[in-house]
Amino acid sequence: MKKRGIGLGCSWYGTGYGNGFPDVSSAFVEIHDDGSATVLTGAVDVGQGSNSIFAQIVAEELGLEAQDICVYSGDTDATPDSGTTAATRQTYNTGNAVLKAVRQAKSSLLVYAAREFSCPTPEGIELKEGYIGVKGDPSRRVPLADLVFQARLRGERFISAESSTARSTPVDPETGQGAPYWPYSFGCQSAEVEVDTETGVVQVLKVVAVHDVGKALNPTQVEGQIAGGVTQGIGYALLEELELDEGKIKNPAFSSYLIPTALDVPNIEAFFVEDAESTGPFGAKGLGEPAMLPTVAAIINAIDDAVGVRITSIPATPEKILKALAEKNGEVNR
Amino acid sequence: MKTSVVGSRVTREDAWGKVFGQTKFPADVNLPGQLYAVVIRSPHPHARVLSINSDYALEMAGVVAVLSAKDVPHNAHGVLFRDQPVLAEYVRMVGDPVAVVGAETEEIAREAAKRVQVEYEVLPTVFDPEEAMKPDVLPLHPSLRPTNVLYHMPIRRGSMEEGWAKADVVIEKEYNTQHVDHAFLQPEAVLAYLDERGHLVVQTATQYAHYDRGEIAHALGLRFSQVQVKTLAVGGAFGGREDISLQVIAALMAWKTLRPVKMENTREESFYSHSKRHPMRMQYKTGATKDGKLVAMEAKIVGDSGAYASWSINVLRKAAVHATGPYVIPNVSIDSYAVFTNNPFSGAMRGFGAAQTVLAYESQMDLLAKEIGISPLEIRLRNIFKVGSTTATGQVLTSSVPLDQCLAKITPYLQRGGESE
Repeated sequence: MKKRGIGLGCSWYGTGYGNGFPDVSSAFVEIHDDGSATVLTGAVDVGQGSNSIFAQIVAEELGLEAQDICVYSGDTDATPDSGTTAATRQTYNTGNAVLKAVRQAKSSLLVYAAREFSCPTPEGIELKEGYIGVKGDPSRRVPLADLVFQARLRGERFISAESSTARSTPVDPETGQGAPYWPYSFGCQSAEVEVDTETGVVQVLKVVAVHDVGKALNPTQVEGQIAGGVTQGIGYALLEELELDEGKIKNPAFSSYLIPTALDVPNIEAFFVEDAESTGPFGAKGLGEPAMLPTVAAIINAIDDAVGVRITSIPATPEKILKALAEKNGEVNR
Repeated sequence: MKTSVVGSRVTREDAWGKVFGQTKFPADVNLPGQLYAVVIRSPHPHARVLSINSDYALEMAGVVAVLSAKDVPHNAHGVLFRDQPVLAEYVRMVGDPVAVVGAETEEIAREAAKRVQVEYEVLPTVFDPEEAMKPDVLPLHPSLRPTNVLYHMPIRRGSMEEGWAKADVVIEKEYNTQHVDHAFLQPEAVLAYLDERGHLVVQTATQYAHYDRGEIAHALGLRFSQVQVKTLAVGGAFGGREDISLQVIAALMAWKTLRPVKMENTREESFYSHSKRHPMRMQYKTGATKDGKLVAMEAKIVGDSGAYASWSINVLRKAAVHATGPYVIPNVSIDSYAVFTNNPFSGAMRGFGAAQTVLAYESQMDLLAKEIGISPLEIRLRNIFKVGSTTATGQVLTSSVPLDQCLAKITPYLQRGGESE
């Protein structure tokens, strides 16, 4: 018989290195003579999309489009150290460093422009749609490229280097008391599963994921992180296990170490909640690791909801499910 | 704040190259005259290398060099402690690299690797972390720790006596999680060479190019300014590319032979050359009042670090800090341990210790709800963190704690479906 159940899982995650470990990111920015810009950062884009996030941050600040920005990363001869791509820290940490760097380059640009436009304060200057000019007077603006080029002729360049450090302190080694991480990300997921009581096979039918991101800098990439995280969570809950014999790996191949394939991945509905984190770039927090956390709990709780057995050891393989069902039926029959 | 580019669905610049197969991963780059290098790995989980005979390998046409521990100027690397050898004289896990062969083709290098004879003195082993914790078990890293307990983190908050006295319902259970591989689709690959400046250039897929540069410079006795690590496209990482792997071995071979060196793991080699997710045994005892308020929690968490420290201290710390789940519990006692064994070494993996404890704390929540007779959603709503809540480490959450908003959004999806034959 196939029985269905729904389970809920919540999680939280302190982002960044934590515990007072120096968590520093750096970035260099240069605004070019044609009104485009380059950002250099050590932050490696491992496929999660940090390079496009940095392009969006720089474009937003300079009134440009993302395609006007060149992001070059992860080359030790050219880029400053931005820490590791881990700990859900690149959007938040390096995002903050990139934001600080572009704002620094922008501030000298605004000062220069204020002089050009006879404006007594750079507050009166704005960057918008590739133009730079007087706030509130669309007749007094020039293409950004013209101003930057003219500035070069006068020996002025708009370049910057900045760093950003996350807040974190070590906990007391005796009591564990302290403020080890900041910020924390939250999330919850529900899973609907179908358990085959004859074979013990669990099919995940649907996962709904709701994650706290502070501010979604790129909603498509948020959805991508969630889809990947849920998929990895399904593997963790149901399939993946390194089999060891005296320290030797018995299944060092994808024929025997099973990871989810397209056929194992259900319909995933991804939502996000935006409650700005004041220390994040545009209010953003990271999502890389949190996206996979609640999945295992949602699935294990859904299995219990479906067939009334509590799996306490993962992965929840068909063998474990059948054993648990047999024990449960044995108790009933006794 | 009103934004126009931030918050929009900008298409990633790397999307096109990946869709059309133009993206260069490290396995795709080559140089004329390059050598191929293949690692010889230990079949034993704990052993001392007594001798390495490379004569039969070096006799083969096309074999250029066989390097071992004695060829590495500073034979150690590691993220927290440099406790891991580049090429091992003392083996702590199956798969530890003991030698590397450089040859004109990959076929010759793989054949030659089989002809390298390594003599081992096999040592006693321990695979169960709780066994390994015992004080009389041979310590795997005596220079780091007198026993195999690498790390213990206690968390103490409130009074357990008061907590249990208030609890109407107590659930006590043990949870276990497994060793997991990152299973990134692109196995480790690297191209290392000396460029026209005499600098050592290493092209690879890593999570942290600057860390790799430091480890390579340290191992070879070079300045940071003489080593360039350039990251090519990364085909998945998930924590498995935190610790350095082939990069430092390829750099060594290039430095010694003055030839470009290419290395690429098979899937099987890949399983042996990066960390694993820590398996954890988690004993939980959680108490709540009859109206579903959490009042006490006690947990013991033992994580298997395997053969090397890697990030184990940080992982087991993260496990402890997150062990309560996102819930207010006034009385808490947690003990989290990281323990050396002769299993494959554990390190960073997406979730980093906070992934394992979810199984335990969220199972406990459902079991408590059932016992009390309220819904899984209800028990969570009565205990979740909000702005101003205090965590088990005494940290006050000062902003952006919207778990209530997340739960509000998911509530319509918690309706139970039907059964089918």
